[in-house]
Amino acid sequence: MTTRDIVFAAVGAITALSALLSVTTKHVVHSALWLLVSLGTLAGCYLVLGQELVGLVQLLVYVGAIVVLVLFALMLTRAPIGPHAEIDTPAWQRVVGAVLGAATTVLLAALLLPLFSGVTVDLDGGAPGGTPAIAQAVFGTWVWPFELLSVLLLVALIGAFAVSRLVLRREDESSAARSEVRP
Amino acid sequence: MIHLQLPAVLAALLAGIGVYGVLARRNAVLILIGVELILNAANLLLVTAGSRPGVPFAAGPVLTLFVITIAAAEITVALAVVLVLFRTTGAIDLTAVPDLTDEPEPAPAPGLEPAPHPAPELDLRGEVRS
Amino acid sequence: MSWIVRMIVVLPALAALAGLLARRQRLLAAGIAIGTSAYVAVLAFIQWVAPARTADIESIGHLSTGSLQVPLHLLSDRLSGLVALVVAVVVLAIQVFTAWYLRDDPRYGQFAATVSLFASGMLLLVQASDLVLILVGWEIMGWCSWLLIGHDSERPEARRAAYKAFVVTRVADIGMVVGLVALAVRAGSTDLITVLTASGHDTALTVGLVGVIIGVAGKSGLIPFHDWLPDAMEGPTPASALIHAATMVAAGSYVIARLFSLYASHDGARTLLAVLASATMVYAALLAFAQTDLKRMLAYSTLSQIAIMLSALAAAPRDIGFAPAMSHLVGHAFFKALLFLGAGWLSVLAGATALAALRGRLHGRGALRWSMALGLAALAGVPPLIGFFTKDTVIDAALEGATSGGGARAWLVVIALFVTVVLTAAYCARAWLLLDTPLATTEPRAGTDDLAMSAHPTTAVHPTTTEPVAEEEIAVVTAADTADDAEVERVHAHGHAPITLAAALSVAVLAATTVFGTLLLTSLSGAIHVGLFTALLSVLLVVGAAYAVWTLSDRGRRDVADRVPGHVRDAAVRGFGADTAYVGVGRAVTAVARLVVALDRDVVDAYPRATVVAARGLGQAGERSHRGVPSLSLLALLAGVVVIAVLGVTAWR
Repeated sequence: MTTRDIVFAAVGAITALSALLSVTTKHVVHSALWLLVSLGTLAGCYLVLGQELVGLVQLLVYVGAIVVLVLFALMLTRAPIGPHAEIDTPAWQRVVGAVLGAATTVLLAALLLPLFSGVTVDLDGGAPGGTPAIAQAVFGTWVWPFELLSVLLLVALIGAFAVSRLVLRREDESSAARSEVRP
Repeated sequence: MIHLQLPAVLAALLAGIGVYGVLARRNAVLILIGVELILNAANLLLVTAGSRPGVPFAAGPVLTLFVITIAAAEITVALAVVLVLFRTTGAIDLTAVPDLTDEPEPAPAPGLEPAPHPAPELDLRGEVRS
Repeated sequence: MSWIVRMIVVLPALAALAGLLARRQRLLAAGIAIGTSAYVAVLAFIQWVAPARTADIESIGHLSTGSLQVPLHLLSDRLSGLVALVVAVVVLAIQVFTAWYLRDDPRYGQFAATVSLFASGMLLLVQASDLVLILVGWEIMGWCSWLLIGHDSERPEARRAAYKAFVVTRVADIGMVVGLVALAVRAGSTDLITVLTASGHDTALTVGLVGVIIGVAGKSGLIPFHDWLPDAMEGPTPASALIHAATMVAAGSYVIARLFSLYASHDGARTLLAVLASATMVYAALLAFAQTDLKRMLAYSTLSQIAIMLSALAAAPRDIGFAPAMSHLVGHAFFKALLFLGAGWLSVLAGATALAALRGRLHGRGALRWSMALGLAALAGVPPLIGFFTKDTVIDAALEGATSGGGARAWLVVIALFVTVVLTAAYCARAWLLLDTPLATTEPRAGTDDLAMSAHPTTAVHPTTTEPVAEEEIAVVTAADTADDAEVERVHAHGHAPITLAAALSVAVLAATTVFGTLLLTSLSGAIHVGLFTALLSVLLVVGAAYAVWTLSDRGRRDVADRVPGHVRDAAVRGFGADTAYVGVGRAVTAVARLVVALDRDVVDAYPRATVVAARGLGQAGERSHRGVPSLSLLALLAGVVVIAVLGVTAWR
């Protein structure tokens, strides 16, 4: 056990715990807030693993943007404040869910642990792929997927806009039809 | 020095918790939280695998960045759909059957008459019935 | 000379086309119709004088149909020349008469064009040396008869009569087509000469001959297809004259005459023909005696006369051949066209065709009276008119057949012929007495009025007649003689018009041919052959029947048919319910068709429909599962993913 192992175990424990809390809490808003904690500590995990850029992007995009979006969505859908028992599925579905979740964990662990057994990485002298290397890879090897991703983001933007406009227009039509029926 | 078994175990844990989150919630936004957890498990696994010596092109961190971007796009569209669903049906409870069809609503809005000339429908005997 | 043969067929068809195009210009349409008919009559005369005596005249070239030879030849011989001439002359007379008769009809152009096309069909049939061309002419006449009978298409009775004629003859035409196909298959060719000389294949021969008899029975109105012909009186009188006199109904006997050498060697088919013809001639003559409408009486007499022609074909021995039948065809064409045109003339004068309304109308009418007298006398068989010669030729031929081994078939025909001679003379005498006896001499009517009125107390009095004598007659008939209504409407709408010289002349020409037409027949060998004994016997029978009618009718003062019991007479006027039987047959066929449709739809189609229903059910099930509770769907999805992953991992291990 090295120091990094201990630090990672501590940060990872917080991540797992807050993730568990975010899926089990009875407060709707708390769920999003626990997600925030979980994703933030996961950024810490990335730092421990020596990937500073990934950790920072994680903080920026996930914690800074996505969780805020989730919070907005919760507000816009009039999520109740305070504990609420109605946000969960029936008990039997949750039991099945727990079984399936545990099965997923066991399955992945059974798959991954043999793969990574005894594999160690020396990160003290800097990660093998540092930020300059990542920058070189992104704008060299991966430049076309990178550009495609920007297009994907644009499409997602327009798509989200179109989805909301589509429904708005239908409502407009129905209201227009209503006004036609009632001259 | 770090043992890569630890992040692998964390990734497995996060994935399992995410699956439980997807199945235990009935609020669509909270289900999305579970989905995010699963995505992050995948990210962590990518970073972990990319940390192994001998991975070319810095594939681990670069692909992680890509997945984060895709996740941002995905959550944008997903939340737009959720909001539309909420606006149309007034709830985002996924244990109820949402009416997502474009057919005329079973209970039309008061004052909204059915269309005066419905399109003729072809039944199985080939006779046009209007 | 072969161009004449082609022209005789093509010109009327072209005239029909031109007449249709020019139907708005009345004079032009009449000019085209009459001019072409006259030219065709001249051509037919030339061809009759000097027939080409060949059966190899190309029409539109050879049809290539594989192993079956379809040369589509026309022929020209003595017989075709004679019949074509008669047809052309009768059509010309009818066209001239029509121009006057339909003087106020807005659809005269169409009528004249249809008559032209009809003539084209008949002339094609007469000159065809190919079964296909015979069938083409046959079908053209069937279609044109539908158009002509339904000319007054605004009247439902005319529409019904047209459809009845069309449907009944179509049903019989099934037999015609099957028969001709069987004959063509037997010979491997549709050429008439090849068909006549082919040998072997007895089954195909039987099917062919019987099929042709069935088709002929339909068009010529043999029992059981006879009932369309009286109803066809709904058409204008020139159309009736055309259909009855020389063309459509007589076409059947011409076709059988062309195939005579085949029939001569086939006793079964001839026996069938003899039975049908004998029954029809007696039955139709009986019904003609009872009719209350002049045109319907003439229609029934047509049935009887056509049956006489066919009986000649059924009974004549092989060496005499078809000449007697064709001779009677020619004679009948002349006197029946004369009678119909005369009846049309008379009906215009009287404004009706019911015998009651026509009573005494001939008296003092000069040319018309003479024409009708000649026509009725020829129909009855009074020497020296053409009817006497042709009918006695038929009787003589039948007697020859009976004595030279024709057996029961020929004797049946001979007996039926003599009975028919008596009946024909009787109804002709009745018609003449009714039409000619002046009304003034019929005084005490009370007795007969009471008789008729008590027999039919419920039937309504005809609303359009004002003469008191007419009431009891027309009261007998409510629906059967609506042809009368047509004439009444026509006259009421347009008033009386004096006959034109041309129309009167056409009637006079026909009257002349009725007297002197026998000379035409001398061109055909064996066409006139009168035995002394049979001639004497039939003359005696005619005179006896006429005298009996004269006596029974109180010297013409009353209708001799009134002596028939009321309910029998009423039924006879309505054709003894043949129409109801047709309707029943039609209903039965429709019911069978419905059954087949139901079987097709509910049994055969059930399988394809079941696949549709199953596919739709699957789709709905899929839709329902898609629209199910989303969280349950998620659950199922993830459970499936995990199961597959577990399976994959274990397999991979």
